[in-house]
Amino acid sequence: MEPILNIENVSKTFGNVPNQTKALDKITFQVMPGEFLGIMGSSGSGKSTLLNCIATVMKPTSGSIVIEGKKLHTLNGKALAEYRGQTVGYLFQNFELLDNLTGGENILLPTSLHNMIQKEGYLRMKQLAEYLEITDVLDKFPTQMSGGQCQRVAVARAMILHPKLLLADEPTGALDSKNAKNIMEKLSGLNRDEEATILMVTHDSNTASFCKRILFIQDGVIFHELRRGDESQQDFYQRILKVVAQLGGGSCNVL
Amino acid sequence: MFSDLIFRNSSRSRKENGLFFSSLVISIVAFYMILSLSKQDVMVFLRKMESDAVNQLLLMILVFYGITLGILFFLIYFACKYQLECRRKEFGVYLIMGMRRSKFFTMLLAEDFLSSILALAIGLPAAVLLSELISLITAKLVGIGIMGHQFTFSFSAIGFTITGFLAIKLAAFLALSSEISRQEIGALLTGSSENEKRQRPAAFYGICTVVGIMMLAAAYIMAAQRRTWHKADKIFVTLLLGLLGTILLFYGIRVVIAFLVKVKKADQRLHVFTFRQIQENVIHQFASMAVSSLLILMAVCCFGAGIGMANANQQAGTHVLDYTFSDKFTENPQEVLPRLQTVLKENGLDSQFSQLFEMRIGYARATENYHNVFQMDSVMESLRSLDQSEDRDVLLNNLSYVDAPHLICLSDYNRLLKAAGKPALTLAANEAAVYQDPDFMSASRTAMLNKILSANPQVMLDGNFLYLTGESQSVDLVTDRSITLLFALILPDEQFLYYTKGTYGVYINGIMNQAPLKSSSLITAISDLNTRLDGIGFQDMGIEYESYLQNMSRQLFYMVAASYITIYLAIIFLVVANTIIGVQFLMNQQKTGRRYQTLVHLGATYKNLCTSARKQIIWFMGFPVAVASVSSFFGVKALFSGLISSKMQGTQGEMLMVFAAMIFVLCVVEYLYMTVIKRSSDRYLLTLMQPQREE
Repeated sequence: MEPILNIENVSKTFGNVPNQTKALDKITFQVMPGEFLGIMGSSGSGKSTLLNCIATVMKPTSGSIVIEGKKLHTLNGKALAEYRGQTVGYLFQNFELLDNLTGGENILLPTSLHNMIQKEGYLRMKQLAEYLEITDVLDKFPTQMSGGQCQRVAVARAMILHPKLLLADEPTGALDSKNAKNIMEKLSGLNRDEEATILMVTHDSNTASFCKRILFIQDGVIFHELRRGDESQQDFYQRILKVVAQLGGGSCNVL
Repeated sequence: MFSDLIFRNSSRSRKENGLFFSSLVISIVAFYMILSLSKQDVMVFLRKMESDAVNQLLLMILVFYGITLGILFFLIYFACKYQLECRRKEFGVYLIMGMRRSKFFTMLLAEDFLSSILALAIGLPAAVLLSELISLITAKLVGIGIMGHQFTFSFSAIGFTITGFLAIKLAAFLALSSEISRQEIGALLTGSSENEKRQRPAAFYGICTVVGIMMLAAAYIMAAQRRTWHKADKIFVTLLLGLLGTILLFYGIRVVIAFLVKVKKADQRLHVFTFRQIQENVIHQFASMAVSSLLILMAVCCFGAGIGMANANQQAGTHVLDYTFSDKFTENPQEVLPRLQTVLKENGLDSQFSQLFEMRIGYARATENYHNVFQMDSVMESLRSLDQSEDRDVLLNNLSYVDAPHLICLSDYNRLLKAAGKPALTLAANEAAVYQDPDFMSASRTAMLNKILSANPQVMLDGNFLYLTGESQSVDLVTDRSITLLFALILPDEQFLYYTKGTYGVYINGIMNQAPLKSSSLITAISDLNTRLDGIGFQDMGIEYESYLQNMSRQLFYMVAASYITIYLAIIFLVVANTIIGVQFLMNQQKTGRRYQTLVHLGATYKNLCTSARKQIIWFMGFPVAVASVSSFFGVKALFSGLISSKMQGTQGEMLMVFAAMIFVLCVVEYLYMTVIKRSSDRYLLTLMQPQREE
């Protein structure tokens, strides 16, 4: 099976020569179709930089990112816009819903940008809204919704065009534990039922325990990987906690 | 360090809000131009002729200046308010870092002062140059001659401009900065202070729109009626209805935009987003949209009034005669012309005139009833039988006073017609032609009278029957205002002498030789001749004269005064209206910049964003302009039917022409403004295309 995302030797450096900071240092990994991959790391570890490079928010200094055979650095203009909207879906920590649009209008926004047939768009929205339990907020404005509802609307918006890869940047960062659990269950469900490929960045072990595989990143390098296998979520969570605890004690103690 | 910060902030404000800064510069130019009017060559020249009128005009200018200062204060207040709103977070950071409030206040004041000084430094030299240029062009156009032109620099205008401008800027600044500096740091750091406005049910806004449209329609109907403008209470009601109607319409129009959001358009990208943005702008800015619309309406009406007034005075008659002389001392009317010719010849001035001819005007010296010598019952009957109209009533009223009309000698009038390049009149012994001064007639009333005259009605003069024939005549009998006749009869020479019994008044009309005109303009030629005539001592000889110069300078005065003041006001209104609305759009766009960034994340191209923003600009700016255009049609109609001189009444074609011209000018101005705002918006959106790293 061909990987959806292939990242090879990606480095990203900020600043100029004497004061350079290496945020990513020759990172290499792959994401397979239908995978739910988590990237964990402490603040400043480079996990958000990695996600931003994949989301084309910034360009890596070196290395290549290939999605479905397309090299990201060769994309520009229309192809780049299509990539942003159709190939990847993006889930923000702060939802980033347009507050002057209703829930339904927010969800349908990508369809109007990428010429999806209107009827098809409505059917897809209906399907997602039912699954995400947001049918009653479709006519409401974001200010009239709870945080959890906003993030679920954001999930529907990110998924409406059947993206090949869903990028989630700390999707539970702005939510309470109950809503966080709910949203993670929904994302897991989408991964399971629709075989949606998800790449999620988080520093929360609980959130990460929903993933099938986790890459731990520190000082710009991947230093550990966990696979869930057949174990329960609780057991996986315990293993994650262990790695995180070791991570706090310094990378030399890990492995 | 502190001064660096001030310079940087001030320059950033100007860059981010170039539209507002340019509007300030335009206002400064406009202020100087109007205040330095007294130094313009035309005004210096007119002051000699019409000093009272010019002095009154200059007094009025100060009033206009005061009014525009007030209007400009609101522009500055609103524009600065938005500018400061966008910097709330930055202010919060300054304060939390320990900047004292007094220092913070000083920093804002210094930033503002720097921008004001720069605006003055650019605006004033531009204004002085432009004012000189206009002075030279108008002088050249009206033919005063620019040889004696001197570079003028009106210190008082500069003083008033600087004082006025700085005063309103300071006042606006104090009002705004006290608002900002009173707020808590926490409130500043959280950014937007805008509270969500409570929304009412859609039906409420729908009713507001309908009521607004009905009020506007009522105001339009009232404005179109001439009688409205004769009564203060009706004028007040019309204006109030128009004002409230406009505000209600803009308040309620959100419901229409909400409907447009729902209209499905499969082929239009970002249709929902675009209209939701427009809707949000309309909800938050309905008051300024209404004010802008009203200001644009006022601007168009000002242009219309200016053109109307200038036209009305220009139409005062074609130029035929250069001089009219009258003789107070000579008793025998037949000796007036020879005496004048002799005096002119003795002083070597006879060669100045190519023609000198008599204009004999007298009364019917009736044998019996001196005061009721003329009856034209058939004319009055015909008039009464016409459908009731204001023109008919005015004519009936005017003609009912005609019982002893002036009489004009046909040969003299034909001489005048020949000089004017018109065909001569032929009258039989029992025929007469009607003469009416153009000052008293409108095109529609003349047409009405001509229709009646075409039936050759029979009238009675001193017991004899006469038939009125031909069309009503109206070529000016004298150069300016020696005599103005509401109604007179032109009679063949023999009949004239018979009815006047040889007792009549004589005016001697003179037309200047063309030779001196070739080397200089008409104004200079007449001014020179006036000086020479005054040198002869005409006064002592009982000879009085009037020249075309008086007529011309009066027209010129009205034209200059009307065009200057109205164009000045129109420019100020247009600038203020467009700047308020443009600045609000751009500031709001910056406030909602994150939404555009989200769209980029969702795959919107730069072109998509620009198209959406451009559409928002067209709707947001176009809507007030559209309402103003409809209103201005009735506004200009009202000006022509009720407010401007009666001569302009009824000239529908003229009115439509003026209106079309106004709308054309408005379209050009709005197009320019929209282009500027679209460009600023495109530039801003480009900065959003590179999403920023955020942690």
